[in-house]
Amino acid sequence: MPSKIELSVIVPVSESRYDDTKELYLEYKQALENTGLNYELIYVLDGPHPDVLGQLQSLIDSGESRLSILKLAKYFGEATALKAGFENSTGDLLMTLPAYQQVASEELPGLIEACASGVDMVIARRWPRLDSKFNRLQSRVFNQIMEGLTGAAFKDLGCSVRVFKRYVVDEIQLYGDQHRFFPALAYRIGFKVQEVDVKQAQKDVFQRVYSVGVYVRRLLDLLSVFFLMKFTKKPLRFFGLVGVSIISFGALVLFYIIGDRLFGGVPLGDRPALMLSSLFIVLGAQVVSIGLIGEIIIFTHAKEMKEYTVEEIIN
Amino acid sequence: MEISVIVPFYNEEACIEDMYNALVEALDPTGLSFELLFVDDGSKDLTFNKAAEIALKDSRLRVIKFRRNYGQTPAMAAGIDHATGDILVTMDGDLQNDPADIPLFLEKMNEGYDIVVGWRHNRQDKLITRKIPSKIANWIIGKVTGVPIKDNGCSLKAYRADLIKKIPLYSEMHRFIPAMASLSGVRVAEIKVNHNARMSGVSKYGLSRIYKVLLDLLTIKTIVSFSSRPLIWFGILGSVVGLVSFVAFIYSMVLLSGGGAVVAMMGVSVLFGFLMIFLMLSGVLCELVYKTGNQKVEDLSSLTSEKISLTEMNKS
Repeated sequence: MPSKIELSVIVPVSESRYDDTKELYLEYKQALENTGLNYELIYVLDGPHPDVLGQLQSLIDSGESRLSILKLAKYFGEATALKAGFENSTGDLLMTLPAYQQVASEELPGLIEACASGVDMVIARRWPRLDSKFNRLQSRVFNQIMEGLTGAAFKDLGCSVRVFKRYVVDEIQLYGDQHRFFPALAYRIGFKVQEVDVKQAQKDVFQRVYSVGVYVRRLLDLLSVFFLMKFTKKPLRFFGLVGVSIISFGALVLFYIIGDRLFGGVPLGDRPALMLSSLFIVLGAQVVSIGLIGEIIIFTHAKEMKEYTVEEIIN
Repeated sequence: MEISVIVPFYNEEACIEDMYNALVEALDPTGLSFELLFVDDGSKDLTFNKAAEIALKDSRLRVIKFRRNYGQTPAMAAGIDHATGDILVTMDGDLQNDPADIPLFLEKMNEGYDIVVGWRHNRQDKLITRKIPSKIANWIIGKVTGVPIKDNGCSLKAYRADLIKKIPLYSEMHRFIPAMASLSGVRVAEIKVNHNARMSGVSKYGLSRIYKVLLDLLTIKTIVSFSSRPLIWFGILGSVVGLVSFVAFIYSMVLLSGGGAVVAMMGVSVLFGFLMIFLMLSGVLCELVYKTGNQKVEDLSSLTSEKISLTEMNKS
């Protein structure tokens, strides 16, 4: 095998959704061979998946030298699994593929080519969609919320077929289930992200309905990602906003009842509103001081945080 | 190398060549050795290509290209990290500052100042959205830090290299370098500079800046207050709150002696008493964070003694 790996393909097996491993592998292999690149394919098993492991093992035994398996000790979430895959691969070009059929595999070489030509990241968009209106509606809502928060107008964040350069990964810290936000974050911090229409796989067409908990989790994930992105370096901007609003509300109430006391003669000492306003002011002050503690943490670790990456230096 | 000039660029293909010419024109007559550091902050136009073209012809120009747009502070930080000069000059890349002012800065630096900041006295910006907010911001910064710098936002500044390399630059902190440095006892001078109207592009700062500046200032005040007397800052905040609690307590006693109802007033006293305890404990926590961190304000303060030796050196 030639020495330098050019393309590392990561396939995370996370939740219960995966298609027949052998068939899928052969399909991916066919597509990747067509690119002519020197590639490696890493299956990351997030938690115990004995049947997948068995099939992969037999594939390796039958001489598939480009295939390797990374087995995590327990379930960590897909984003963490991907990260483990990135860390254990060597190619400068990275590709993530789902462990199930999502797009028609003959489209893959086209995506890789698109990424090689100047953009930092290429993501696939399943279009035209073959599946039901309901599926499309829920992904539309998700994509719209993302667009509102990050300004990234992507139409199919649910598609895990993505190609990108390694330096993109170095700058985005994701964990748990946050892999969905990857392109939006990359876009938001300034990388060039391109969406390419690809054919949807026949097997991807089925009704997707999740429990309420799943939707709530996604929303919380979204908020935490948004917070981390926007306020990590400036915690006081966030805590200050919350704290000052609370204090202002308390102060308004306080001024009102003081006015009542001065001009209306209503006694101040036994008004529950006095307690209420004081409570708000106290809470606001506590929130602000938490923000200050955050700022001091950031300041004292400023040396560890390098804020930029240099692509090239001339002279 | 005596002088490094750091200029961040973001989508400035139209000005970059003029900027280079103006800089060389201003610096050549000084007879000092200099380098130019152009930082391309992830421009989407031909800024980098144009800079690279110039760099081919002139080896005094170094071009640092970012992978993507990071903002002005990281761009300056990158320039400062890569600079080799004894005196560093930073300025805007859009020709708002006039390179012809640089020799004046060098002169002031020679007089023994550690930082020289520009003051755009004839500022060419919109009054309501830019000048007034910045006036208010500068006034507040001056009041809080006790260093009345008229124009903290001017990018044209000169620093002693060993000083600026120790100041942590992150987020939008570049605006506070003079304030931060002067609080640790460094000598700061301010001189008038020319200011040209923005040639192209829209400025992204507006009225929301005041709010940001206020919060940043609270941060700076806290950080710098920690240098000399840790825990005192939160202690002061705590005692103010404690005073409120005490007054409320006395008042409720007065009410009680008059036979009035005191439950609410007494509650207020207790609440603020609790807040005082919370603030004091926050101070202790900050102390802990500060002691375990790797960035100390003392590092900045210790520079003052070096300053004295430097000025003496210049005299002899």
